[in-house]
Amino acid sequence: MSAHFGSILDDLTRQRGVRASLIVSESDGLVIDASLRFGQNGDRVAALAAAMYRKARLSARAARLGAVAFLQLDAERGRICAVGGRGDLVLVVVAEPSANVGLIRVELLKALEAIE
Amino acid sequence: MRSARSNTFSIAMSTTDEIRRWSEELARDPASLVFLQLGEALRRQGQSEIALKVALRGLERYPRTAEAHDLVARIAVDRRDFVRAADEWEAVLRLVPDHVGAMKGLGYICFQQGRFDDAEWYLAHAGGGDAVSAALETVRRSSGGIPQLEVGSIDAADVSPNKPELPVDPQRLFEDILVDDGQTALLLDASGYVLGGLYVDGDGNDLAHEIGAQLSGISEEVVRATRHLDIGEWKSIVFETHVAVVGMAPTPDQGLVVVAASRATPLGLLRLLIDRCCARTAGWIGRSQTS
Repeated sequence: MSAHFGSILDDLTRQRGVRASLIVSESDGLVIDASLRFGQNGDRVAALAAAMYRKARLSARAARLGAVAFLQLDAERGRICAVGGRGDLVLVVVAEPSANVGLIRVELLKALEAIE
Repeated sequence: MRSARSNTFSIAMSTTDEIRRWSEELARDPASLVFLQLGEALRRQGQSEIALKVALRGLERYPRTAEAHDLVARIAVDRRDFVRAADEWEAVLRLVPDHVGAMKGLGYICFQQGRFDDAEWYLAHAGGGDAVSAALETVRRSSGGIPQLEVGSIDAADVSPNKPELPVDPQRLFEDILVDDGQTALLLDASGYVLGGLYVDGDGNDLAHEIGAQLSGISEEVVRATRHLDIGEWKSIVFETHVAVVGMAPTPDQGLVVVAASRATPLGLLRLLIDRCCARTAGWIGRSQTS
Protein backbone atom coordinates (compact mmCIF):
# COMPACT_ATOMS: atom_id res chain seq x y z
CA MET A 1 0.00 0.00 0.00
CA SER A 2 1.47 3.37 -0.93
CA ALA A 3 1.73 5.83 1.94
CA HIS A 4 -0.49 8.46 0.31
CA PHE A 5 -3.36 6.18 -0.70
CA GLY A 6 -2.82 4.03 2.38
CA SER A 7 -3.85 6.67 4.88
CA ILE A 8 -6.93 7.55 2.80
CA LEU A 9 -8.00 3.92 2.57
CA ASP A 10 -7.29 3.27 6.24
CA ASP A 11 -9.53 6.19 7.17
CA LEU A 12 -12.31 4.66 5.11
CA THR A 13 -11.84 1.17 6.52
CA ARG A 14 -11.99 2.54 10.07
CA GLN A 15 -15.62 3.56 9.51
CA ARG A 16 -18.06 1.34 11.39
CA GLY A 17 -19.21 -1.61 9.30
CA VAL A 18 -16.67 -1.17 6.50
CA ARG A 19 -15.07 -4.46 5.43
CA ALA A 20 -12.82 -3.22 2.66
CA SER A 21 -11.85 -0.11 0.77
CA LEU A 22 -10.08 -0.05 -2.55
CA ILE A 23 -8.85 2.25 -5.26
CA VAL A 24 -9.56 0.65 -8.59
CA SER A 25 -8.90 1.40 -12.22
CA GLU A 26 -12.32 1.63 -13.85
CA SER A 27 -11.09 0.75 -17.31
CA ASP A 28 -9.40 -2.57 -16.49
CA GLY A 29 -10.76 -3.41 -13.03
CA LEU A 30 -7.31 -3.77 -11.48
CA VAL A 31 -6.55 -2.88 -7.87
CA ILE A 32 -4.37 0.20 -7.46
CA ASP A 33 -4.40 0.10 -3.69
CA ALA A 34 -6.52 -1.59 -1.05
CA SER A 35 -7.20 -1.86 2.64
CA LEU A 36 -8.83 -5.21 3.26
CA ARG A 37 -10.07 -7.06 6.31
CA PHE A 38 -9.05 -10.68 6.68
CA GLY A 39 -10.69 -12.99 4.14
CA GLN A 40 -11.45 -10.39 1.47
CA ASN A 41 -10.39 -11.07 -2.10
CA GLY A 42 -9.34 -7.65 -3.32
CA ASP A 43 -8.90 -8.59 -6.96
CA ARG A 44 -12.38 -9.99 -7.22
CA VAL A 45 -14.02 -7.07 -5.42
CA ALA A 46 -12.11 -4.60 -7.58
CA ALA A 47 -13.03 -6.27 -10.86
CA LEU A 48 -16.71 -6.59 -10.03
CA ALA A 49 -17.09 -3.12 -8.53
CA ALA A 50 -15.28 -1.51 -11.45
CA ALA A 51 -17.48 -3.36 -13.95
CA MET A 52 -20.61 -2.33 -12.11
CA TYR A 53 -19.52 1.30 -11.83
CA ARG A 54 -18.53 1.40 -15.48
CA LYS A 55 -21.86 -0.04 -16.58
CA ALA A 56 -23.73 2.48 -14.44
CA ARG A 57 -21.68 5.33 -15.86
CA LEU A 58 -22.20 4.28 -19.49
CA SER A 59 -25.89 3.58 -18.98
CA ALA A 60 -26.49 6.88 -17.24
CA ARG A 61 -24.67 8.71 -20.01
CA ALA A 62 -26.67 6.91 -22.67
CA ALA A 63 -29.82 7.81 -20.78
CA ARG A 64 -28.69 11.46 -20.84
CA LEU A 65 -28.50 11.63 -17.07
CA GLY A 66 -24.92 12.89 -16.91
CA ALA A 67 -21.83 11.48 -15.25
CA VAL A 68 -22.19 9.15 -12.27
CA ALA A 69 -20.68 10.58 -9.10
CA PHE A 70 -21.75 8.12 -6.40
CA LEU A 71 -23.14 4.61 -6.56
CA GLN A 72 -24.61 2.47 -3.80
CA LEU A 73 -25.65 -1.17 -4.08
CA ASP A 74 -27.66 -2.72 -1.25
CA ALA A 75 -27.82 -6.48 -0.97
CA GLU A 76 -29.07 -8.84 1.74
CA ARG A 77 -25.67 -9.31 3.36
CA GLY A 78 -23.65 -6.33 2.27
CA ARG A 79 -23.35 -2.98 0.63
CA ILE A 80 -21.03 -1.64 -2.02
CA CYS A 81 -20.44 2.10 -2.40
CA ALA A 82 -18.31 3.65 -5.12
CA VAL A 83 -17.33 7.14 -6.22
CA GLY A 84 -15.52 8.18 -9.33
CA GLY A 85 -14.18 11.46 -10.55
CA ARG A 86 -12.80 12.93 -13.72
CA GLY A 87 -10.17 10.28 -14.27
CA ASP A 88 -10.03 6.51 -14.31
CA LEU A 89 -9.87 6.02 -10.55
CA VAL A 90 -12.83 4.67 -8.61
CA LEU A 91 -12.95 4.47 -4.84
CA VAL A 92 -14.86 1.43 -3.61
CA VAL A 93 -16.07 0.48 -0.15
CA VAL A 94 -17.60 -2.87 0.81
CA ALA A 95 -19.64 -2.60 3.99
CA GLU A 96 -22.02 -4.45 6.29
CA PRO A 97 -25.75 -3.93 5.68
CA SER A 98 -25.90 -2.09 9.01
CA ALA A 99 -23.17 0.41 8.10
CA ASN A 100 -24.04 4.11 8.10
CA VAL A 101 -24.04 4.69 4.37
CA GLY A 102 -24.59 8.44 4.71
CA LEU A 103 -21.34 8.76 6.61
CA ILE A 104 -19.53 6.45 4.20
CA ARG A 105 -20.72 8.57 1.28
CA VAL A 106 -19.35 11.73 2.87
CA GLU A 107 -16.01 10.06 3.61
CA LEU A 108 -15.80 8.63 0.09
CA LEU A 109 -16.38 12.03 -1.50
CA LYS A 110 -13.74 13.57 0.77
CA ALA A 111 -11.32 10.79 -0.09
CA LEU A 112 -11.96 11.27 -3.80
CA GLU A 113 -11.01 14.93 -3.51
CA ALA A 114 -7.80 13.92 -1.80
CA ILE A 115 -6.69 11.48 -4.51
CA GLU A 116 -7.62 13.65 -7.50
CA MET B 1 -45.62 15.35 -18.13
CA ARG B 2 -42.70 13.86 -16.28
CA SER B 3 -39.11 14.22 -17.23
CA ALA B 4 -35.71 13.68 -15.72
CA ARG B 5 -34.05 16.17 -18.01
CA SER B 6 -32.16 18.99 -16.37
CA ASN B 7 -34.66 21.68 -17.28
CA THR B 8 -37.43 20.03 -15.31
CA PHE B 9 -35.16 19.12 -12.41
CA SER B 10 -35.01 22.78 -11.55
CA ILE B 11 -38.76 22.64 -11.04
CA ALA B 12 -38.40 19.55 -8.88
CA MET B 13 -35.90 21.30 -6.71
CA SER B 14 -38.36 24.04 -5.91
CA THR B 15 -40.61 22.02 -3.61
CA THR B 16 -37.74 20.83 -1.47
CA ASP B 17 -36.34 24.34 -1.37
CA GLU B 18 -39.73 25.75 -0.46
CA ILE B 19 -40.20 23.24 2.34
CA ARG B 20 -36.82 24.25 3.71
CA ARG B 21 -37.66 27.93 3.39
CA TRP B 22 -41.09 27.57 5.03
CA SER B 23 -39.63 25.43 7.83
CA GLU B 24 -37.07 28.12 8.54
CA GLU B 25 -39.71 30.82 8.45
CA LEU B 26 -41.91 28.89 10.88
CA ALA B 27 -38.94 28.31 13.17
CA ARG B 28 -38.25 32.05 13.19
CA ASP B 29 -41.90 32.96 13.67
CA PRO B 30 -44.03 30.15 15.16
CA ALA B 31 -47.13 32.36 14.80
CA SER B 32 -46.72 32.54 11.02
CA LEU B 33 -49.52 31.23 8.82
CA VAL B 34 -46.88 29.63 6.62
CA PHE B 35 -47.69 26.36 8.43
CA LEU B 36 -50.56 26.02 5.93
CA GLN B 37 -48.20 25.92 2.94
CA LEU B 38 -45.61 23.83 4.76
CA GLY B 39 -48.18 21.27 5.93
CA GLU B 40 -49.67 20.98 2.45
CA ALA B 41 -46.24 20.58 0.81
CA LEU B 42 -45.25 17.88 3.31
CA ARG B 43 -48.58 16.13 2.75
CA ARG B 44 -48.00 16.13 -1.00
CA GLN B 45 -44.55 14.66 -0.42
CA GLY B 46 -46.15 11.81 1.50
CA GLN B 47 -44.73 12.91 4.85
CA SER B 48 -48.11 12.77 6.50
CA GLU B 49 -46.86 12.33 10.05
CA ILE B 50 -44.73 15.48 9.99
CA ALA B 51 -47.44 17.29 8.04
CA LEU B 52 -49.96 16.40 10.73
CA LYS B 53 -47.70 17.70 13.51
CA VAL B 54 -47.18 20.98 11.65
CA ALA B 55 -50.90 21.33 10.96
CA LEU B 56 -52.00 20.53 14.51
CA ARG B 57 -49.49 22.98 15.97
CA GLY B 58 -50.84 25.64 13.62
CA LEU B 59 -54.43 24.73 14.45
CA GLU B 60 -53.69 25.24 18.16
CA ARG B 61 -52.77 28.84 17.38
CA TYR B 62 -55.52 29.40 14.83
CA PRO B 63 -58.56 27.34 15.90
CA ARG B 64 -60.88 29.76 14.06
CA THR B 65 -59.08 29.42 10.72
CA ALA B 66 -61.05 27.21 8.33
CA GLU B 67 -58.01 26.45 6.17
CA ALA B 68 -56.18 25.00 9.18
CA HIS B 69 -59.05 22.56 9.83
CA ASP B 70 -59.19 21.80 6.11
CA LEU B 71 -55.48 20.96 6.07
CA VAL B 72 -55.81 18.62 9.05
CA ALA B 73 -58.79 16.96 7.36
CA ARG B 74 -56.89 16.31 4.14
CA ILE B 75 -53.93 14.88 6.02
CA ALA B 76 -56.32 12.71 8.04
CA VAL B 77 -57.79 11.30 4.82
CA ASP B 78 -54.30 10.47 3.58
CA ARG B 79 -53.87 8.57 6.85
CA ARG B 80 -57.28 6.91 6.31
CA ASP B 81 -58.56 8.49 9.50
CA PHE B 82 -61.99 9.29 8.07
CA VAL B 83 -63.55 10.02 11.47
CA ARG B 84 -61.08 12.79 12.19
CA ALA B 85 -61.32 14.09 8.63
CA ALA B 86 -65.11 14.34 8.92
CA ASP B 87 -64.83 16.15 12.29
CA GLU B 88 -62.42 18.69 10.83
CA TRP B 89 -64.46 19.34 7.71
CA GLU B 90 -67.58 19.78 9.83
CA ALA B 91 -65.58 22.33 11.86
CA VAL B 92 -64.73 24.07 8.58
CA LEU B 93 -68.41 24.29 7.65
CA ARG B 94 -69.26 25.77 11.06
CA LEU B 95 -66.76 28.56 10.29
CA VAL B 96 -67.43 28.88 6.55
CA PRO B 97 -70.80 27.27 5.73
CA ASP B 98 -70.24 27.21 1.95
CA HIS B 99 -66.61 25.99 1.99
CA VAL B 100 -66.33 24.02 -1.26
CA GLY B 101 -63.35 21.89 -0.19
CA ALA B 102 -65.14 20.75 2.96
CA MET B 103 -68.29 19.94 0.98
CA LYS B 104 -66.31 17.83 -1.46
CA GLY B 105 -64.39 16.16 1.33
CA LEU B 106 -67.49 15.27 3.32
CA GLY B 107 -69.18 14.06 0.14
CA TYR B 108 -66.26 11.77 -0.48
CA ILE B 109 -66.24 10.42 3.08
CA CYS B 110 -69.99 9.80 3.03
CA PHE B 111 -69.57 7.89 -0.22
CA GLN B 112 -66.79 5.81 1.35
CA GLN B 113 -69.11 5.01 4.23
CA GLY B 114 -71.96 4.04 1.91
CA ARG B 115 -74.08 7.08 2.93
CA PHE B 116 -75.05 7.90 -0.63
CA ASP B 117 -77.86 10.36 0.15
CA ASP B 118 -75.52 12.43 2.33
CA ALA B 119 -72.75 12.15 -0.27
CA GLU B 120 -75.10 13.45 -2.95
CA TRP B 121 -76.21 16.35 -0.72
CA TYR B 122 -72.64 17.47 -0.02
CA LEU B 123 -71.45 17.08 -3.61
CA ALA B 124 -74.51 18.91 -4.96
CA HIS B 125 -73.61 21.81 -2.65
CA ALA B 126 -69.94 21.72 -3.66
CA GLY B 127 -70.54 23.65 -6.85
CA GLY B 128 -69.60 22.72 -10.40
CA GLY B 129 -66.54 21.35 -12.06
CA ASP B 130 -66.09 18.15 -14.05
CA ALA B 131 -64.69 16.18 -11.12
CA VAL B 132 -67.62 17.06 -8.87
CA SER B 133 -70.17 16.40 -11.61
CA ALA B 134 -68.66 13.00 -12.34
CA ALA B 135 -68.58 12.19 -8.63
CA LEU B 136 -72.18 13.25 -8.24
CA GLU B 137 -73.22 11.14 -11.20
CA THR B 138 -71.53 8.11 -9.68
CA VAL B 139 -73.25 8.69 -6.34
CA ARG B 140 -76.64 8.99 -8.06
CA ARG B 141 -76.08 5.71 -9.87
CA SER B 142 -74.89 3.93 -6.74
CA SER B 143 -76.88 1.53 -4.64
CA GLY B 144 -76.23 0.38 -1.08
CA GLY B 145 -74.41 -2.72 -2.33
CA ILE B 146 -71.49 -0.84 -3.87
CA PRO B 147 -68.17 -1.78 -2.29
CA GLN B 148 -66.18 0.97 -0.62
CA LEU B 149 -63.19 2.19 -2.56
CA GLU B 150 -59.62 2.19 -1.34
CA VAL B 151 -57.95 5.52 -1.83
CA GLY B 152 -54.33 6.24 -0.99
CA SER B 153 -54.51 10.01 -1.08
CA ILE B 154 -57.24 12.57 -1.43
CA ASP B 155 -57.10 16.12 -2.58
CA ALA B 156 -60.06 18.21 -1.57
CA ALA B 157 -59.84 20.00 -4.90
CA ASP B 158 -60.15 16.75 -6.80
CA VAL B 159 -62.56 14.48 -4.99
CA SER B 160 -64.01 11.77 -7.12
CA PRO B 161 -65.65 8.55 -5.94
CA ASN B 162 -64.71 7.14 -9.36
CA LYS B 163 -61.06 7.09 -8.34
CA PRO B 164 -59.87 3.51 -8.87
CA GLU B 165 -57.68 1.62 -6.45
CA LEU B 166 -54.93 1.20 -9.03
CA PRO B 167 -54.42 3.07 -12.29
CA VAL B 168 -55.77 1.31 -15.35
CA ASP B 169 -53.49 3.14 -17.77
CA PRO B 170 -49.99 1.57 -17.46
CA GLN B 171 -48.38 4.93 -18.22
CA ARG B 172 -50.03 6.38 -15.10
CA LEU B 173 -48.95 3.52 -12.87
CA PHE B 174 -46.82 5.67 -10.56
CA GLU B 175 -48.39 9.06 -11.18
CA ASP B 176 -49.87 9.57 -7.71
CA ILE B 177 -46.76 8.26 -5.93
CA LEU B 178 -44.35 10.74 -7.46
CA VAL B 179 -44.43 14.03 -5.64
CA ASP B 180 -42.69 16.39 -8.05
CA ASP B 181 -42.86 17.02 -11.79
CA GLY B 182 -39.15 16.24 -12.06
CA GLN B 183 -39.62 12.70 -10.81
CA THR B 184 -40.22 9.79 -13.09
CA ALA B 185 -40.64 6.06 -12.68
CA LEU B 186 -40.68 3.08 -14.99
CA LEU B 187 -41.49 -0.59 -14.63
CA LEU B 188 -39.42 -2.79 -16.91
CA ASP B 189 -39.71 -6.48 -17.59
CA ALA B 190 -36.79 -8.91 -17.48
CA SER B 191 -35.88 -8.03 -21.07
CA GLY B 192 -35.79 -4.31 -20.46
CA TYR B 193 -39.14 -3.63 -22.14
CA VAL B 194 -41.39 -1.04 -20.54
CA LEU B 195 -44.44 -2.42 -18.72
CA GLY B 196 -45.59 0.76 -17.06
CA GLY B 197 -44.69 4.30 -16.14
CA LEU B 198 -43.68 7.22 -18.26
CA TYR B 199 -40.50 9.05 -19.20
CA VAL B 200 -41.10 12.18 -21.24
CA ASP B 201 -38.49 14.80 -21.99
CA GLY B 202 -38.97 18.55 -21.96
CA ASP B 203 -40.06 18.48 -25.62
CA GLY B 204 -42.78 15.94 -24.96
CA ASN B 205 -40.89 12.99 -26.48
CA ASP B 206 -41.48 9.62 -24.85
CA LEU B 207 -38.05 8.21 -23.97
CA ALA B 208 -39.27 5.36 -21.79
CA HIS B 209 -38.16 2.53 -24.09
CA GLU B 210 -34.73 4.02 -24.74
CA ILE B 211 -34.07 4.87 -21.09
CA GLY B 212 -35.42 1.53 -19.92
CA ALA B 213 -33.20 -0.41 -22.29
CA GLN B 214 -30.12 1.55 -21.25
CA LEU B 215 -30.64 1.35 -17.51
CA SER B 216 -31.80 -2.25 -17.34
CA GLY B 217 -28.32 -3.35 -18.38
CA ILE B 218 -26.96 -2.24 -15.01
CA SER B 219 -28.92 -4.93 -13.21
CA GLU B 220 -26.99 -7.67 -15.05
CA GLU B 221 -23.73 -6.35 -13.61
CA VAL B 222 -25.31 -6.01 -10.20
CA VAL B 223 -26.49 -9.61 -10.19
CA ARG B 224 -23.04 -10.76 -11.24
CA ALA B 225 -21.34 -8.73 -8.50
CA THR B 226 -23.64 -9.86 -5.69
CA ARG B 227 -23.34 -13.49 -6.73
CA HIS B 228 -19.56 -13.49 -6.87
CA LEU B 229 -19.18 -11.50 -3.68
CA ASP B 230 -21.66 -13.74 -1.87
CA ILE B 231 -23.62 -10.87 -0.35
CA GLY B 232 -27.06 -12.26 -1.13
CA GLU B 233 -29.80 -11.00 -3.41
CA TRP B 234 -29.60 -7.36 -4.37
CA LYS B 235 -32.29 -5.09 -2.99
CA SER B 236 -31.59 -1.78 -4.65
CA ILE B 237 -29.00 0.29 -6.44
CA VAL B 238 -28.86 4.05 -6.23
CA PHE B 239 -26.57 6.36 -8.12
CA GLU B 240 -26.12 10.09 -8.30
CA THR B 241 -25.25 11.83 -11.52
CA HIS B 242 -24.59 15.50 -12.10
CA VAL B 243 -28.25 16.14 -12.90
CA ALA B 244 -30.17 13.31 -11.28
CA VAL B 245 -30.47 10.66 -8.63
CA VAL B 246 -31.56 7.29 -9.94
CA GLY B 247 -32.73 4.27 -8.00
CA MET B 248 -33.50 0.77 -9.19
CA ALA B 249 -34.92 -2.27 -7.47
CA PRO B 250 -35.80 -5.75 -8.70
CA THR B 251 -39.40 -6.94 -8.86
CA PRO B 252 -40.40 -10.50 -7.90
CA ASP B 253 -40.81 -11.52 -11.56
CA GLN B 254 -37.25 -10.50 -12.56
CA GLY B 255 -38.37 -7.08 -13.68
CA LEU B 256 -37.02 -3.75 -12.61
CA VAL B 257 -38.43 -0.58 -11.10
CA VAL B 258 -36.49 2.55 -12.06
CA VAL B 259 -37.05 5.88 -10.33
CA ALA B 260 -35.25 9.07 -11.37
CA ALA B 261 -35.47 12.43 -9.68
CA SER B 262 -33.67 15.73 -9.57
CA ARG B 263 -30.22 15.90 -8.03
CA ALA B 264 -31.72 17.94 -5.21
CA THR B 265 -33.88 15.02 -4.10
CA PRO B 266 -32.60 13.56 -0.83
CA LEU B 267 -31.43 9.95 -1.23
CA GLY B 268 -33.69 8.92 1.66
CA LEU B 269 -36.73 10.25 -0.21
CA LEU B 270 -35.60 8.47 -3.36
CA ARG B 271 -35.43 5.18 -1.46
CA LEU B 272 -38.91 5.82 -0.09
CA LEU B 273 -40.19 6.39 -3.62
CA ILE B 274 -38.54 3.16 -4.80
CA ASP B 275 -40.23 1.23 -1.98
CA ARG B 276 -43.61 2.73 -2.84
CA CYS B 277 -43.20 2.07 -6.55
CA CYS B 278 -42.22 -1.53 -5.82
CA ALA B 279 -45.28 -1.97 -3.60
CA ARG B 280 -47.47 -0.46 -6.34
CA THR B 281 -45.91 -2.78 -8.90
CA ALA B 282 -46.65 -5.85 -6.81
CA GLY B 283 -50.33 -4.91 -6.54
CA TRP B 284 -50.60 -3.95 -10.18
CA ILE B 285 -49.00 -7.11 -11.51
CA GLY B 286 -51.12 -9.19 -9.15
CA ARG B 287 -54.27 -7.52 -10.48
CA SER B 288 -53.15 -7.94 -14.10
CA GLN B 289 -52.62 -11.64 -13.52
CA THR B 290 -56.03 -12.17 -11.93
CA SER B 291 -58.04 -10.07 -14.42
